[in-house]
Amino acid sequence: MNRPSASPSPGSGEIRLVNLTKTFGVTTAVDKIDLTIPHGSYCCLLGPSGCGKTTILRMIAGHETPTAGEIYIGSEMVVGKSPIARGTALMFQSYALFPHLTVLDNVAFSLKARKVGKDERRRQAEEMLRRVHLHALKDRMPAQLSGGQQQRVALARSLITNPRVLLLDEPLSALDEFLRLRMRSELKSLQSELGITFVHVTHTQPEAIALADMVVVMDQGRIDQAGSANVIFNRPKTPYVARFMGGQNVLTGTVVRTADGVLRLKGANGAQFEIPTNQAAPPQGFVVSFTVRRDHINLRKNLDNRAAAPNEVRGVVEATEYQGSYIKVFIDVGGGVFVANVSDRDFSADPVERGDAVVASWSAADTNILTSVDEGGAGEPYSDAAPATTIEGLEKG
Amino acid sequence: MAGSTTSYGPRPWTFYALATLFTLFVIFLYGPMIAVLILAFQGPSGSLDFPLRHPSLMWFAEVFHPHRVGDVVGAFERSFPLALIVAALTVLISVSAGFAFRRRFVGSTLIFYTAVASLIVPGLVLSIGILVTFRYLGLPAAWYSSALGAHLSWTLPFGLLIMFAVLGRLSPSYEEAAYDLGASKWQAVRWVVIPIVFPGMIAVALFGFTLSYDEFPRSWLTVGSKNTLPLEIWTMTTNVTSPELYALGAMTTFVSFLAIGIALSSIAIIQRTRSGRK
Amino acid sequence: MRSGPALQSPWSVYLQIAPLSLVLLFFFVFPVALVILVSFFHYQMLVGMVPRFTSKNYVDLLSNPTTWALYLSTVKFTLIVLAITFVLGFWIAYFLVFHVRNLLVAIGLFLVCTVPFWTSNIIRMISWRPVLGKEGLINSGLIKVGLISHPLNWLLFSDFSVVVAYVHLFTLFMIVPIFNSMARIDKSLLEAAIDAGATRWGVVWDIVLPLSKTGIALGALFVVTLTMGDFFVVTVISGGLSGSATSEIYNDLQFLNYPRAAANAVILLIVVLMIAAAIFRLVDVRKELVR
Repeated sequence: MNRPSASPSPGSGEIRLVNLTKTFGVTTAVDKIDLTIPHGSYCCLLGPSGCGKTTILRMIAGHETPTAGEIYIGSEMVVGKSPIARGTALMFQSYALFPHLTVLDNVAFSLKARKVGKDERRRQAEEMLRRVHLHALKDRMPAQLSGGQQQRVALARSLITNPRVLLLDEPLSALDEFLRLRMRSELKSLQSELGITFVHVTHTQPEAIALADMVVVMDQGRIDQAGSANVIFNRPKTPYVARFMGGQNVLTGTVVRTADGVLRLKGANGAQFEIPTNQAAPPQGFVVSFTVRRDHINLRKNLDNRAAAPNEVRGVVEATEYQGSYIKVFIDVGGGVFVANVSDRDFSADPVERGDAVVASWSAADTNILTSVDEGGAGEPYSDAAPATTIEGLEKG
Repeated sequence: MAGSTTSYGPRPWTFYALATLFTLFVIFLYGPMIAVLILAFQGPSGSLDFPLRHPSLMWFAEVFHPHRVGDVVGAFERSFPLALIVAALTVLISVSAGFAFRRRFVGSTLIFYTAVASLIVPGLVLSIGILVTFRYLGLPAAWYSSALGAHLSWTLPFGLLIMFAVLGRLSPSYEEAAYDLGASKWQAVRWVVIPIVFPGMIAVALFGFTLSYDEFPRSWLTVGSKNTLPLEIWTMTTNVTSPELYALGAMTTFVSFLAIGIALSSIAIIQRTRSGRK
Repeated sequence: MRSGPALQSPWSVYLQIAPLSLVLLFFFVFPVALVILVSFFHYQMLVGMVPRFTSKNYVDLLSNPTTWALYLSTVKFTLIVLAITFVLGFWIAYFLVFHVRNLLVAIGLFLVCTVPFWTSNIIRMISWRPVLGKEGLINSGLIKVGLISHPLNWLLFSDFSVVVAYVHLFTLFMIVPIFNSMARIDKSLLEAAIDAGATRWGVVWDIVLPLSKTGIALGALFVVTLTMGDFFVVTVISGGLSGSATSEIYNDLQFLNYPRAAANAVILLIVVLMIAAAIFRLVDVRKELVR
């Protein structure tokens, strides 16, 4: 892969944030963050607006100065260094293409700043444009380009500086659905091709798990959980992460006892939960929250009023929502709403409708214990516009 | 419907009423100027009123002859360069101050309100004040000191307000992108900020030029012994009773229109280039 | 809120603001201060100003019924001009913002209105003569049509002509700020009002007018300042028949009585500032200008 000859970037693109804090007046935007992003990985900072993810990105980029803490790129501490000296490049949400320059001059800008001669920098810029397949547009003005084209120009402009870390601030938010999916795969292949570290800020959960080697879920200036997409999705640690990633039901119960590696909980309305665990047994009366994926729920009509078995809840169907390959069934379990994602085949075999009494069950292996207790209305649902997924009645039983 | 943007139905009667009002207003605005323009070509009858008899250019020629009550050419030769200098200085000072106001600093509110106050204070008061200031300092009132300063006190608030509007709309992302790509602060200003706000700067220059060129009350006492063009015209209005005054008016208006035309077409050209239509 | 590029030194700001501050200081603050100072000086015939503190100038002026009469006349003109320019300015701005559909056309028409602003005030003023004069266009036209038999001589060199000239010169100062304010009104507000059953007039009265308040205030401020501070329009166009506060100042200046002229100027300034303060109370001007 031919990179245009610019000054070589000093090796490693590993990013280490140590005790990083940023306050604006009385507001703390970023609160003592510790994070290590491996060299050459694709990392997504995920969270709602105001969680601090963009502030962290801008601090790594050098456009914002931390109030406290350190940032290491490679092994250098970079706080206080200019953006270009850090070997980072930031792609702005609005692309920030210079409106008075042609595409070619936009891309050549960093070379002009480095006092490269006119012919040489134009040559290098053209080469870069060829790589992003935009060479035909080199003499156009940014106002004449479509959103996707502008983004590629912005990419070319950033990459020509040969950064070791590429920072992207919600790059796909301004694009329509179809374009977004296409650009997503382009970004992913670009990253593997270049082999540099990408840090991508987004509030869209499916985007993050599609792209990232490492997902960092943030809330109010703190990291709730960082890990691979698989771990974050299947084994969320907190109710907030569970809700933000979506696709989970959060349930709560009180410890009855632990025996033979099985934790027994008592929930509301006589529900019993048995969760396999190899950790130390919490004391009796202790409140525990856990998650079960919505698509791991078996749903059947409650026709015979059998006695309750462990790992099931009973309720009445409130609503059903068609989602193509599956149907979302909202069930009122007497204190909150519980959702089962039933595949369309299973649903057509045994359809339910509003008002039906149902039993929702799952296997013990499909449960995931959370490290903090769900406080009910404390967190807002973030994913797929579901109503509050807490079962509020299931508290200290 | 008033305010409707999506449903383009038939126009209500109020549209026609207001359109008529607008047309009448434009006639009201331009009518007298056009009358003067026509009468400037008045013939030897020298009548200051209609009708136009024997159109000729004789009164235009009269303007160029210096006579006891007015030296128009001389005044023009002084007013024009002064206006150019005022325009240039207004741009430099307004742009510089506009940049300063992007951040909070001690005294920003005070300076802002002082600039606005400078607009509100009647020109006559300021004229007296500047004359007295110079007397007090033992300096004579002169073109490139007191008159220049008086003009600047009028043009700078306008320039400042325009720069506020322009810089306020400028997204900070452009400069950040420039820094990100390795530009120094000065390179970012020279290669990114100034080109983007350049149309605004043209507008400031236009204001600076025309406000100075046409300025009257503040110039009155501050020019010293030689007059600006407006002051010269003022003396002539009380003394000259021929269409020479109209010819003069036509020519000076022409200069103004030229300045406006150059400024507006420059801005239009820049916008066109940036949107890509060559 | 962004903290800005970490590359700017704090001193550069002061350097950038210095030229403006210096000009304002020398050519505005000092002069105004000196005018106030001089207004307390003593005036001696044939000698000029004598720096001996006296309040005689103010006493002279304020006890002189002519002064009051002139100020009253000026205020009268100002209020009439204000009313007319407001009505004109409001409806023209309204037309441009809400009735003209094409934005480019609206801007073009707006420019058409503003271009005369950039030409000489004096020329615009004297150009009324061939229109309003005894043998002017209007009189000739009216005689030809047969509406009158003798030319109207109150068209020119009268209070009427003064008002006409002021409206001609200053309406633009109303149009621009009101246009600005109106252009910022979210059009969907008007649609919502119509949906809710408001009449078109109700929309203007209840929505457009209050939301244009700031622009109206700014325009009013400009018109008042310019009208009260003017002296050449009123002297030339009225042929010396109408007086204004400024004509008194003018006379004193002819006789080099700077102290009394200064005192009169201070009184004028105070009146204007009082009006400005009243207007500033109604709106937050800084927010409007800087937004």
